[in-house]
Amino acid sequence: MQPKFNIDRPKVSDDEINKHKDFDNLVKQFKEQSINKAKSDKSWWKNNYIRYAAVIAGATVICTVTYTALFNKTKTQTANNDKTTTLKDQNTKTTNTKFINEPFEKIKVNNTSYKVDNSKGAEIKHPTGSKIKIPKSSFVNKAGEEIKGEVEILYREIHDQAEIIASGIPMRYDSAGKEFTFESAGMFEITGSQNGEPVFIKHDKPLTVEFSSTQTEDRFNQYFLDTVAKNWTYLKRDNPVLSPQQQPPNPSEAKQELKKLEQKYEPAIAAIPKRIDSVKVVYTKKIDKLEKPSQPNKPNKSSGRPQFQLDVDYKEFPELSAFKNAVFEIGSESTNYKAEMKNITWSSAEIEEGPDKGKNYILVLKLKQRVERLVVYPVLTGNDFADASKKYEEKFEKYKVLQAKRVADEAKLRAEMEAKQAAYLAQQQKIQEEYIKQKVRLQKEAELVITTQIKSGGVIPAITRVFNISNFGIFNSDHPCPRPNTSEEIQPMFVSNGAKEEIMPNTIYLIETNRNIVYTFTGASKMMIDSKIPYSMCILVGPNVYVVSKEEFARAVLKKDNNFNVTRLGSEVTDVYELKKAIGII
Amino acid sequence: MSYNSRYHHTAVQLHEEHLIIEAAKTDPNHFAPLYDKYYKQIFGYLYQRMDDKDTAFDLTSQVFLKALTNIGRYEFKGVPFASWLYRIAHSELMQLFREQKNKRCINADIGDLRFICEETQEFYLEEYIPLLKKVISELDPEDCQMVELRFFERRAFKEIGEIMDITENNAKVRMYRILEKLKKAITSPKKN
Repeated sequence: MQPKFNIDRPKVSDDEINKHKDFDNLVKQFKEQSINKAKSDKSWWKNNYIRYAAVIAGATVICTVTYTALFNKTKTQTANNDKTTTLKDQNTKTTNTKFINEPFEKIKVNNTSYKVDNSKGAEIKHPTGSKIKIPKSSFVNKAGEEIKGEVEILYREIHDQAEIIASGIPMRYDSAGKEFTFESAGMFEITGSQNGEPVFIKHDKPLTVEFSSTQTEDRFNQYFLDTVAKNWTYLKRDNPVLSPQQQPPNPSEAKQELKKLEQKYEPAIAAIPKRIDSVKVVYTKKIDKLEKPSQPNKPNKSSGRPQFQLDVDYKEFPELSAFKNAVFEIGSESTNYKAEMKNITWSSAEIEEGPDKGKNYILVLKLKQRVERLVVYPVLTGNDFADASKKYEEKFEKYKVLQAKRVADEAKLRAEMEAKQAAYLAQQQKIQEEYIKQKVRLQKEAELVITTQIKSGGVIPAITRVFNISNFGIFNSDHPCPRPNTSEEIQPMFVSNGAKEEIMPNTIYLIETNRNIVYTFTGASKMMIDSKIPYSMCILVGPNVYVVSKEEFARAVLKKDNNFNVTRLGSEVTDVYELKKAIGII
Repeated sequence: MSYNSRYHHTAVQLHEEHLIIEAAKTDPNHFAPLYDKYYKQIFGYLYQRMDDKDTAFDLTSQVFLKALTNIGRYEFKGVPFASWLYRIAHSELMQLFREQKNKRCINADIGDLRFICEETQEFYLEEYIPLLKKVISELDPEDCQMVELRFFERRAFKEIGEIMDITENNAKVRMYRILEKLKKAITSPKKN
């Protein structure tokens, strides 16, 4: 759709813009948001560095290939459970929100439909091996009444980078203002309806989804996608379960060693941010207690405008006591002042605080119905002004000294605080490095065990991740990763047809091909990458889809070439399997 | 033709702004000067690209909320804070247009179109207006954004680069290509 084009549209006035400014409301929203985040995010980062020793990259690839070959070619399956009655393909988007935008017209992650008799419940077996356990009488309508008859359950799973892209599910995670991208061990979307009307899960009859995941590592958390807040909500730490025949040798031994490591390092790492905050609180209090000198008011000299004298009650206006001999001068802003006013005998004259507190006042003159308000300034003349000026200079000198002292004291306190915080951060980094080193050692040992097992004809490990759900929507088992920020920066220009044509992308997906991570960028952008990690890219230009292969990406980075050659995916590509091949994950 | 210079800051101004940002990282109330300083600019940027004033005001609030939420991650790079705000605003706009394509709108004054003709070294003629409107509307979103920033908002290339997160040179090269496209579009019908 082409945008509408306006010529010479009326401008919005500054007044109108200023009316909408509301900083207090902004701060209020910010605080509310922070509180909500704090409630939902329970320190996932404690497990940030956990790399449970259970998988190797080779096994992951084999799992992905096996999964794809087995389950992604067709979705028309028959349930082997007598409580489910029908099974058919769906292309309908199940989440009623624009927050999820499927980017492709043809490449979709399909839903599977199951029908369940609410009075009996069911145990649905999905082709991937996942199970959905539905207790009887689980579903209610919007009025809270139990559903009678069959309920349609739409269910789909997202396992790898291509499916993440095709599903349109956002993978950004905002944790207390910090942005991360999820590495996924798998996601699923589940919804329920009856005759087109949504149904709801009864609060005391949650469903259990035993999600079959090919990512066997134990470092993921469970999240739910809150489409209203447009962010993921942390649910709990994921505890994957291996079936008995898939248990690697001596898992309890590896787990125990891991647990010991966690017990040793995690409390030490967790204590650091609290110490940093505590230092901040202590020093903020110290800074707040520093003396805050107030600047003295400079006496005003007469500028020759009309003047008058008043009998002022100095108890009511103590700030005027310094101007006992002063006369008041009509301010230039008092445009209503007329010379005849000085000849009128007013029935009352009052002084109120002026718009510039301590510097000017409002003189209110009344006679019958007439009320005049004049902005007036206390002014001094001759010796009075000279004396007042002298006193002012003395006070101002004292003020300057005090102010300089305060600035120096504050800077000193800040420097002390920053030094203490830096020391804590260094300590934290040291502990973390040691922790990661130990984890890697454990991981390598376990990888060796699993490799030996696979070579000897053992089974490929697959893991079940158990979700207890009391509402429909999108759930995942993911691990939040910060964007790479320590390595190279690239600013790719995308070219096709032997660099003759430049492609201007709308959306760029930067794909880590050996982990389930997809970074999304809008338009042309600079990107931070880690040159040790293999990447590919998927690019959207309107309805057209382009790909930068793994090999081409590596070439461009190696040669420091900003021109990345793209390959267009033909319109005949309608299967997510073809996308997986194109981006080099199978 | 002069360009808008409100974006440019002296070293002292940048330093002062940096101090405010650092203060705002520890206490959101210190964000007020930045909010006051940039509210109008960000609203102008958003409203320039849509027809719906209320949505533009809502989006402006959202941009500042996001900025305040993420200010802890902001790193001072020697450019005005505005460039970061513009990037947030751009991202919010793209999100909105993905969801509601009909919200996208282009706004220009006659003087702006005359300016484009000057840059393409063509005489300005009234008859070019429908043609220019058509050609600009058909540009891809990034190119259209460039035209808006350069000709309708009169921004310097340095600023355009910082807003679009590209180098100043890259911005110039792209603008050169866009001007070529526009020139071709203007002159082709004449030749025919």
